[in-house]
Amino acid sequence: MTNESNTSDEALREEVTAWLTENWTKDISEELLNENIYWEVSAARKSWLKKVVEAHWAVPRWPEEWHGRALANDQAKIIERAFAKVRAPGAGQDRNNLWANTLLAQGQQGLKEKLIGPLLRSEVNMCLLYSEPGAGSDLAGIRTRADKQGDHYLVNGQKVWTSGAATADYGMLIARTNWDVPKHQGISFFFCPMKQPGIEVRPLRQITNESHFNEVFITDAVVPAENILGAPGMGWQVLNTALAYERSSMGEGARGPRSGAKQATQEEPLIAVAREAGKLDEPHLRQQIAQAIAYKRLNALNTARAKADLSQGTSSSIMSLGKLAMSRILHEEGRIRTEILGAESLLEGENHPRAEDANFLSLNAYFTSIGGGTDQVQRNIIGERVLGLPKEPEVDKTIAFRDVRTS
Amino acid sequence: MLNTLSTEEREALRDSVSKLMSDASTETAVRTVMETDQGFDPDLWRSLSEMGVIGLITDEKYGGSGVGPMELEAVMEEAGAALLCSPLLASGVIAAELLQALGDEALNATRLPGIATGETIASAVLTGDTGCWTESGINVSASEIAGTWQLEGRGSFVLHAQNADVLIVIANSEGGLKAFEVDPSEDSVQVEALPTLDRTLRIASVSFNKTAAKQINATQPVWEAVNQALNMALVALAGEQAGGAKKVLDFTVEYAKTRIQFGRQIGSFQAIKHMAADLLVETESAISAARHAAACLADQSSRTEEAISLAAFACADAFVKTAADGVQMHGGIAFTWEHPAHLYLKRARADAQLFGSSDFHRENYLKALGG
Repeated sequence: MTNESNTSDEALREEVTAWLTENWTKDISEELLNENIYWEVSAARKSWLKKVVEAHWAVPRWPEEWHGRALANDQAKIIERAFAKVRAPGAGQDRNNLWANTLLAQGQQGLKEKLIGPLLRSEVNMCLLYSEPGAGSDLAGIRTRADKQGDHYLVNGQKVWTSGAATADYGMLIARTNWDVPKHQGISFFFCPMKQPGIEVRPLRQITNESHFNEVFITDAVVPAENILGAPGMGWQVLNTALAYERSSMGEGARGPRSGAKQATQEEPLIAVAREAGKLDEPHLRQQIAQAIAYKRLNALNTARAKADLSQGTSSSIMSLGKLAMSRILHEEGRIRTEILGAESLLEGENHPRAEDANFLSLNAYFTSIGGGTDQVQRNIIGERVLGLPKEPEVDKTIAFRDVRTS
Repeated sequence: MLNTLSTEEREALRDSVSKLMSDASTETAVRTVMETDQGFDPDLWRSLSEMGVIGLITDEKYGGSGVGPMELEAVMEEAGAALLCSPLLASGVIAAELLQALGDEALNATRLPGIATGETIASAVLTGDTGCWTESGINVSASEIAGTWQLEGRGSFVLHAQNADVLIVIANSEGGLKAFEVDPSEDSVQVEALPTLDRTLRIASVSFNKTAAKQINATQPVWEAVNQALNMALVALAGEQAGGAKKVLDFTVEYAKTRIQFGRQIGSFQAIKHMAADLLVETESAISAARHAAACLADQSSRTEEAISLAAFACADAFVKTAADGVQMHGGIAFTWEHPAHLYLKRARADAQLFGSSDFHRENYLKALGG
């Protein structure tokens, strides 16, 4: 690699394009673009990522010693755009690889040397051990404990809403290490090895009859002391940097109907469903359909305006509204589809795909209105951080956690 | 030809209008002027003229500023925030755009310069007592008698007709829809100011009794010209609604930070905070919709009808909801005449009925989407 930080934009563009032309061959691209990725990463993908990391394209904003190029954002984007143009994966991980970014920012040297490379190459699988049955909206109220025993921590407790726990090698874990200080101050952040006897993973069955998440029961699990990120008791701060990475890498849209039936036309799904059901002429449905489509369109316009504001250098508060807006869009779409179908929505199964879609959308809408912060928490955040309204008094903010009331 | 300003120029225009509003369209000024018969402040009208706002969308060759819907929308956001009382919408927007759309060169050359400077106030008679701004709502008929056109019937919901020097009247005739110019001071024309819930608004009914009228030589089908004017009016109104909604949310949030009950600022209660968060979604969506509609109209996009319909009901509903919830969030103080919240609620309710209800625009939106 050529690595002068003063490489011109044009030279960089040529270099990355040439590298892609040579390495992103027809065979590799066809194989990777056609594979179905879920939790397992294929050998072909790992081998491609290895090449990308070795050529220092994966994390160009990072320092050279960690596979980077120490480039500024503008130049890093040149690389991302070149990869995106040919649909090659693996670039931009200094923005969207939650695990590697968190580890690089907060981890100890030994753990970084051990895991940064494998994380960038997707050779290790990860999961999140944050939420607990007793700590949902109030995440700082976690009761999973980590007790220091010589060169390691012993962890006990229960986590929930963990995707990929069964295949994970490590989980990013928050656990309480000090019960004598207020709740935010006694938390520590760990890379917890998952493949050990003290970890039991049980799938959770959702109201949609799917299982995308697990419960994780932790009994005397061992975490080496070097796997702590940040200082003991500083876990809440580490968590917030991790959450910031997570948010910046999110932003994918909501999921569509389960049947996955492709719309033959570009027509709005609600219009198509009403037409098919012979209900498109009903004035009260027409009003509701128009309004539901409008909610979706207005959210898209807000997002576009926020992006335009950002590109002009002014930060936009509109972005924070998207999740709340999306909740309403999805609940309304589910509700109106149900209303269009009437009694047909009682049915399920593959012979009733319209009912399946309506019911799935209605139920899965809660994924957005509860998951990742409920609408109610989201309204608090908008009220406080965007509109500057004062916080509710917090009765447990300053007392030792062991004295905090629980349900 | 209409031009579009650069973003910086448009923001500069917005700033100067905002400055003028904060000087001359204060709450006190609005309360004073809303109790007059005329319903607008001639000094402020002159200032708007000097700023080029009245002739904003009028072609430069007729003495206007010759800019487009995006600039108009930006100006109207500021006007809406300040509850500007003026015939701007009636004369500078609807009448000016209708005349330009009708395209009678000779008439435009004589009429539009005065309208652009604000010396002439014009208004368009587009609907009757049904108040539906569609072809079927037209309630004036025209007949040609011995080479002279005569009008008969009653138009209504005519903005600032009581202040108008000239009326443009859309009327049915045996030969189809036609457009006419009428002098409202003629004896055969009876202009009757209508009492309005929103005292910052001026509307009137206009009755014609064998009124001699001058036919306007339209260069395109008359209803298409009316539609073009209504589209411009809807963009302007959407801007006013978005600006009004944002203003209400701003002062309501400020109040929630200062009003203390139960020993706490009321804005710390989730009951209030969550309403405010929901209103922020509404107001930001209204701003996005209004600006998008203006941009589509400026670009003559193929999706202009869709964008304008969306803005029409989204902005109307957002302004009404924000103003109504704003009253609720204030509590008793906003139930008093002296508090400004009701002025915004009344403007919001009025704006939501002008040029078609939200239901009407939702239906048009669905049609535009192919539904």
